[in-house]
Amino acid sequence: MFFHWLEKNPFFFAAGISIVISFAGLLEIVPNFAEAARPLVDLKPRTVLQLAGKNVYKKDNCISCHSQMIRPFKSETDRYGAYSLSGEYVYDRPFLWGSKRTGPDLHRVGNYRTTDWHENHMWDPPAIVPGSIMPAYKHQFTNLADIETAYAEAVTVKNAFNTPYGPEFKGTRAAWEAHKPKVLEEAKRIADDMKNKDIKEAVARGEVPEVVALIAYLNSLK
Amino acid sequence: MNALTIKALAFAAILIIATIAVVTSLDIDIMGDFVYAVTMGGAIAIAVITAFVTTKYINQMKTDTPSGDLADENWDGIGEYENELPSGWAYAFLATFLWSMWYGFLGYPTNAYSQIGEYNEEVLAYNEKFESLHKNADAATLLEMGESIYLVQCAPCHGNTGDGLSGKAQDFTGRMTKEQVLYVINNGSNQLGYPMGMMPPGMAAGKDAEDIATYVAGGMQGEKPASFAACASCHGEDGKGMNGMAPNLAQYDDTLMTLVLEKGKKGVIGTMPSFKDRLTPVQQKAMTVYIQSLSN
Amino acid sequence: MQANAALEYDYSLAKKFTFLTILFGFLGMLVGTIIAAQMAFPELNYLLGEYGTFSRLRPIHTNTVVFGFTVSAIFATWFYVGQRVLKVSMAESRFLMVIGNIQFWLYFIGALLATISLLFGISSSKEYAQYEWPFDIVVVIVWVLWGFNIMGLIGIRREKALYISVWYYLACFLGISMLYLFNNMAIPTYFATEGLGNIFHSVSMYSGTNDALVQWWYGHNAVAFGFTVPIVAMIYYFLPKESGQAIYSYKLSLLSFWGLMFVYLWAGSHHLLWSTVPDWMQTMGSAFSIVLILPSWGSAINMLLTMKGEWNQVTENPLIKFMVLASTFYMLSTIEGPIQAIKSVNAIAHFTDWIPGHVHDGVLGWVVFMVMASIFHMAPRMFKREIYSRKLMEVQFWLQTTAVVLYFTSMWIAGITQGMMWRAVDEYGNLMYSFIDTVTVLHPYYTIRALSGVMYLTGFLMFAYNIYKTMTAGRELSEEPQFRTPMA
Ligand code: HEC
Ligand code: HEC
Ligand code: HEC
Ligand code: HEM
Ligand code: HEM
Ligand SMILES: [Ca+2]
Ligand SMILES: [Ca+2]
Ligand SMILES: [Cu+2]
Repeated sequence: MFFHWLEKNPFFFAAGISIVISFAGLLEIVPNFAEAARPLVDLKPRTVLQLAGKNVYKKDNCISCHSQMIRPFKSETDRYGAYSLSGEYVYDRPFLWGSKRTGPDLHRVGNYRTTDWHENHMWDPPAIVPGSIMPAYKHQFTNLADIETAYAEAVTVKNAFNTPYGPEFKGTRAAWEAHKPKVLEEAKRIADDMKNKDIKEAVARGEVPEVVALIAYLNSLK
Repeated sequence: MNALTIKALAFAAILIIATIAVVTSLDIDIMGDFVYAVTMGGAIAIAVITAFVTTKYINQMKTDTPSGDLADENWDGIGEYENELPSGWAYAFLATFLWSMWYGFLGYPTNAYSQIGEYNEEVLAYNEKFESLHKNADAATLLEMGESIYLVQCAPCHGNTGDGLSGKAQDFTGRMTKEQVLYVINNGSNQLGYPMGMMPPGMAAGKDAEDIATYVAGGMQGEKPASFAACASCHGEDGKGMNGMAPNLAQYDDTLMTLVLEKGKKGVIGTMPSFKDRLTPVQQKAMTVYIQSLSN
Repeated sequence: MQANAALEYDYSLAKKFTFLTILFGFLGMLVGTIIAAQMAFPELNYLLGEYGTFSRLRPIHTNTVVFGFTVSAIFATWFYVGQRVLKVSMAESRFLMVIGNIQFWLYFIGALLATISLLFGISSSKEYAQYEWPFDIVVVIVWVLWGFNIMGLIGIRREKALYISVWYYLACFLGISMLYLFNNMAIPTYFATEGLGNIFHSVSMYSGTNDALVQWWYGHNAVAFGFTVPIVAMIYYFLPKESGQAIYSYKLSLLSFWGLMFVYLWAGSHHLLWSTVPDWMQTMGSAFSIVLILPSWGSAINMLLTMKGEWNQVTENPLIKFMVLASTFYMLSTIEGPIQAIKSVNAIAHFTDWIPGHVHDGVLGWVVFMVMASIFHMAPRMFKREIYSRKLMEVQFWLQTTAVVLYFTSMWIAGITQGMMWRAVDEYGNLMYSFIDTVTVLHPYYTIRALSGVMYLTGFLMFAYNIYKTMTAGRELSEEPQFRTPMA
């Protein structure tokens, strides 16, 4: 019998397993690559500050409680806004849809929460939403965001995947130094809407606290 | 059925009953929605099938005896019978496989079914059910409706009672604070799109401004300072905005609510986001009624 | 050496990996209990400053139990079972021993560093693939070394035909290799620029919906090839070996194995139902999940039927009890998962606590129970001593069984409740509950779950203690027991 033979020939046995487990992946995943890589018409990649904020989101692993995927149900579009579209995520590496909603979805939180609200909320969630079980992220008000890494990320995705960042995005230190003022300018616009004096001073000094970058990112979720 | 099976089914029943009791206590009508009903059916299926099938096999440990032809091989003392497949298992495997073919090609054909289509139908059905029902809702209905929308959409900023969470957002128990009025006098304002257009900064200064602000923040009761004349040309003698030409400084009137919800507003406290396209006209009306009720 | 003289097996690697299994099991479940408590009592987030928040700790829990505990257990049992069913001792090949030891140390140090990296927030934030690229490389090397060992041992085997457990270990090795490599493809940004920024940082090779597809093709099948396939390998060896019964049916083994291999891979998109993944893929994922009940149940039924007529063993031998209960929890989670994969059910279940509920009746009831049973069986043979206390085993069994039941029932109710509340509308058609209402209502269930964590962890400590005492104080055995494990 074929299977008895197979069980005595480990090489063919292993080959058999490999074939059986490979083709589902090939059939299901590969055809989607062309289609799902198309961005929405006016989709822009995130700015360096927003990318730095996304990396704060990854570092503090907000994905463990928050999704970014609004499903096409009336109850979700009423709560969070329009259902999510594939073309909106094209520049997201990695995707951050999440798999657990201990807290609400955040895919369009930029539409209905604002800088000052986030400032208060990240400092002490239960003070804003009584009963909240979200931890306070006070350390984000003192830790500095890594904007240089965010810039390196922008350059990398531009070169490797043609993500449309401008011609000034180059992988050299000089190009980064030239771009940095733009990031600080954007950070200042966020800090202007905040109340915390230390944050304002830090930004004026040319530093970017994590919370400033994070809020830039959250505001960009629309 | 023997004792073990009955115990397992009883456990399944307790779990299901507890689930239904909790959900029902939250005013959720399980049979009123297809998705609820399928979910509850699925939960029951998990509990009952698992209880039944596992105890069926465990019971065989008590009642049956091992039998069959042993295979020639033997691994570290482990033998293997050449028994046939359990027929229930084999037929169920075949049946689910055939069902999956039906599901993929006929039930929800892979080339024709669309979840967005389903969403559009859901919204249509919803609109038919609710929109006509509440087109001409009376004030009491609007008030209740407003409260429920408020708790979901606005309470995270303005607080459950509308007190603005000690100065973190607009406090609806009054109209404006002195600080807010002063800020507008000093900085002007141009974001809501009233027919009067913008309000220029510096319409008053120094003690005049202080007096005006105290007066407006006090709900425009008491003595009106003479300097309020500077404001009356736009906001009216009574501060009520001259029928929507400029904001009503005394009440949250319809015009103000409509414009704030549409455009959002940035002020000394912070920024209020726009709710454009997030509320239907009826819901907006309900919001106005409810917010007005908070300041009275 | 003569072919049928008793072989002297070399258990040194099995022992080493057993210690790691216990160490990582304890750490992982300790953190699990902490994060469970944090969801009930959020003040507990501030015990360790920035490093103690729920969100930093959660991936430490998942990665430690998956890549620490479960993978150690896979290695430990392989280095025990592999030799025995292939009838060849590790000691017969210096090469394999050296490779095995390198594998051990690289793995141990790699796993510790990787865990620390997560504590510092060095994370790519893809679930179960959070490790950044340098750690991914270590994982791949460890895995390849293990592959050498499997192939090497098979190469010098005396037993011509591969036993069922070996099929499953092989599948585990091949499956994880393929999945891990593809999903973790990333470009380090430091090397793609003039050395700008953080050296650990990388960007995924895939984006958006594509990334989601690759991730859940990986995530789902990591469950298949990490929490299912190697655990089935364990039960196919340890249950018949401990009970002395022959496997019920070769045909059932065969069909379940190839059925599982074929069907599992199609089902990954059930993690992406109602998302922006194309409808046809969702339909396939949903339908194949239902089919998947049968090949999964096939192995469990085969095991239960192997114990046909052996009720006295079930009542007398706590080790058998662990394995019979593991099979039933396996059946529970492999019908619960498929039902949660029905699109309408998933509309409620997805994103809620019902999913962690499903996860833990699988991992606590099936994976950990099977691993502990395997170690209980191996210990007297590896240390040549009797199990220290049978009584402790009994108490542990009931304590942990109660804990699993509390865990999955509380999360079942919590999840269904929350999913339905998110969807509920009032008589005006407006959302009935604000988000925070749907959080505060869960407090009692989170408290029960935290309690169940404490109970389960206590049981695990009893297990660790029992093994420790077995090693150091168990009655010495003069010869290796053939079937039933001796215990005091
Ligand atoms: C332990 C779970 C948990 C973690 C971790 C967590 N959150 Fe939350 N989050 C919640 C809960 C619960 C709510 C709802 C109650 C509230 O608003 O505080 C919430 C609400 C929010 C909201 C408001 C959304 C809305 O629609 O009202 C934002 C924004 C937010 N979180 C951002 C974050 C960010 C950024 C992080 C990571 C740095 C994070 N959260 C980590 C649980 C969590
Ligand atoms: C030239 C006409 C004009 C004059 C004079 C004027 N206002 Fe206004 N005021 C406006 C307009 C128009 C707005 C709405 C601005 C906008 O769209 O943001 C406004 C807004 C305000 C607001 C903000 C209301 C809200 O709810 O956001 C306050 C408070 C206010 N005015 C107070 C005053 C006071 C006090 C004075 C006198 C010192 C004054 N205004 C004089 C036209 C005027
Ligand atoms: C993200 C937070 C946030 C949300 C959500 C929010 N608001 Fe506000 N709202 C504010 C803040 C902050 C202000 C105060 C702005 C200022 O004057 O500084 C405000 C002000 C207002 C005002 C007074 C505006 C004026 O010009 O006097 C009204 C009315 C109002 N909000 C209604 C609502 C209603 C109704 C909802 C829900 C449908 C809502 N808000 C949701 C933050 C919010
Ligand atoms: C027939 C077999 C199974 C099927 C069809 C299945 C199906 C599912 C489904 C539908 C989800 C939820 C996806 C979501 O909505 O988020 C899920 C999640 C999960 N299952 Fe299973 N399951 C099966 C068996 C198992 C077993 C045996 C285990 C573990 C021992 C397991 C571990 C998990 C884990 C860890 C998750 C969570 C994934 C995440 O992080 O979101 N599953 N499974
Ligand atoms: C003492 C025992 C344990 C407790 C108290 C516990 C607790 C928890 C908690 C609280 C979560 C987070 C759930 C959430 O975010 O809502 C979680 C997630 C998880 N745990 Fe455990 N855990 C335990 C043991 C284990 C073990 C032994 C394993 C695996 C072998 C495991 C695997 C997982 C996985 C895969 C997840 C992620 C589930 C998902 O994302 O859906 N856990 N656990
Ligand atoms: Ca998850
Ligand atoms: Ca990785
Ligand atoms: Cu899955």
